[in-house]
Amino acid sequence: MNPSAGPVIEVRDLHKVFPVGFRRRKVYAVRGISFEVRPGDIFGFLGPNGAGKTTSIKVLTGLIRPSRGQVRLFGRDVEDLHVRQRLGFLPEQPYFYDYLTPVELLDHVGRLFGLSAGLRKERTDQLLAAVGLTEARSRTLRKFSKGMLQRVGIAQALLNDPDLVILDEPLTGLDPIGRKEIMDLVLSLKERGKTVFFSSHILSDIERVCDRVAILRQGSLVAHGTLDELLTREGQLIEVEFSLPGGLPPDALGLTFEALTRVGSHFRAQVDDARVERSLMQLLSAGARILSLVRRRETLEDLFLREAIRRDDAEATPAPATEAP
Amino acid sequence: MRSPRVIWTLARGTLLEALRNRAFLGLTLASIAFLAFSLVVSQLSIRAQSVRVAEDFGFFTISLFAVAVGVIIGVILVYKEVAVKTIYAILPKPMHRWEFVVGKYLGLTLLLAIEVAVLGVAWVLVLWLREAPLTVELAKGLYLILLEACLVTSAAVLFSAFTSPVFSGIFALGIFTIGRVLYLVDELLAARRGLFVDAPWLRPIGEAMTVVFPDLGVFNLSRQVLFGVETPMAYLGAATGYALAWIAVYLALGALLFQRRDFI
Repeated sequence: MNPSAGPVIEVRDLHKVFPVGFRRRKVYAVRGISFEVRPGDIFGFLGPNGAGKTTSIKVLTGLIRPSRGQVRLFGRDVEDLHVRQRLGFLPEQPYFYDYLTPVELLDHVGRLFGLSAGLRKERTDQLLAAVGLTEARSRTLRKFSKGMLQRVGIAQALLNDPDLVILDEPLTGLDPIGRKEIMDLVLSLKERGKTVFFSSHILSDIERVCDRVAILRQGSLVAHGTLDELLTREGQLIEVEFSLPGGLPPDALGLTFEALTRVGSHFRAQVDDARVERSLMQLLSAGARILSLVRRRETLEDLFLREAIRRDDAEATPAPATEAP
Repeated sequence: MRSPRVIWTLARGTLLEALRNRAFLGLTLASIAFLAFSLVVSQLSIRAQSVRVAEDFGFFTISLFAVAVGVIIGVILVYKEVAVKTIYAILPKPMHRWEFVVGKYLGLTLLLAIEVAVLGVAWVLVLWLREAPLTVELAKGLYLILLEACLVTSAAVLFSAFTSPVFSGIFALGIFTIGRVLYLVDELLAARRGLFVDAPWLRPIGEAMTVVFPDLGVFNLSRQVLFGVETPMAYLGAATGYALAWIAVYLALGALLFQRRDFI
């Protein structure tokens, strides 16, 4: 795809409100998010459970309609059939017709896209091999494990050779080898100029492949940009590992750190670049033995937790979805 | 020709899934067993009546099980699409939501055609064993049973678009039951004595019923077959038009509700 072309996904001021209960109480699932995804990007969509990721993805795929705002794919309405012809979608925890085999399911999907019999067979064989299901091609889907259904789901999402692939939690239920295979598949899509939009809880995988990310929390976008823009914004971190005399906890000696974890008999703490000398002096004065001192780049997980903590501090009543005023 | 292709693909997928569903196999075997039972029942009746009993029993069994297959499989398949979320992967494909509803329904009508054909063959076998005359009127009767089952199934698809399978099943079977006795309401409305004369405030309800519910008595040829009355082809044509009109209404309403629905 031509990167100078317009955005593949445009989301403007998207709101989604669900009426809940007998009194039709309004609950905001998504509250005014805006972002764009450019052609050829791998875009990571992050957020804790209940942040509004799946709701947003369902709006992108036309499964639910926005309460307010605009969503366009390839510059057109999401329900436009030309858009859908170019779209591949893997829903969260996919489930398919119990009594069909993977070959029959992919043939069914291929027919919906109007692919010829020859092309359906060719792509079915290719994709079943790519997701490691060649051996299970004649088994009915009701006998498939969760991870195998996930693989079939990815195969059906790619059957039409889409320009835009939307994957909702594609790594759920996969073992580390399966995750690597799927991430390699995602990278190969990028090499072929495809745009990939996916949500995941597995931040290390997102960090490995994504060009841009958006972090969603309580229905709002809290961070959005390239990884370089987002991860350097707060400066770099120093990680210090130390042990204390008599195995005492640091707070017993009046030492406080923002992020402190116990690792066996010693401790690991993160300190800001600007405060590193002062922190080391405090540790040495308390009789601590410094085991290692490592400068490391902030990870997506750090960013994710930082944004989560920041919001928790700012908002007194965190909830998965917030009630409308 | 995108729409017919999409609808046919959805129908084909629905038929394939339904044929392999154990509920369909169970209902078909049960109905064949029921038809076989008519051999025993007709044996117990006096000789002159045994053929009539076998014919009447066959009409009743095929009609009941065809409707049961349409309602139960229809409700299960449409409900499952939403409940277990198979629809999430299918609806974002290049199709309109109304095409999904029509495709699903067409698959169910193909299933009903297979069901009625299988039961029809079993019934003809039973009648042949009872040495009953095998006339073209039986085929006409089977055709009308198929139309009736298709109509009730379209109601089941409509209800499945917005409510749970239990309620969908109850509502659809309610339409079947009321539709089967609607001719009695018509007769009472036309009578100079009886319920609607004694309680005139009930008359608007009776009149509303004749408008809101389809008259399924139109599709019951058992009396004509029993008394050897030939059914003209024009009647079959009119019955077909009547069924198609009701099916169109139910499917249009179902598609409208489906169109407005959020798949949360």
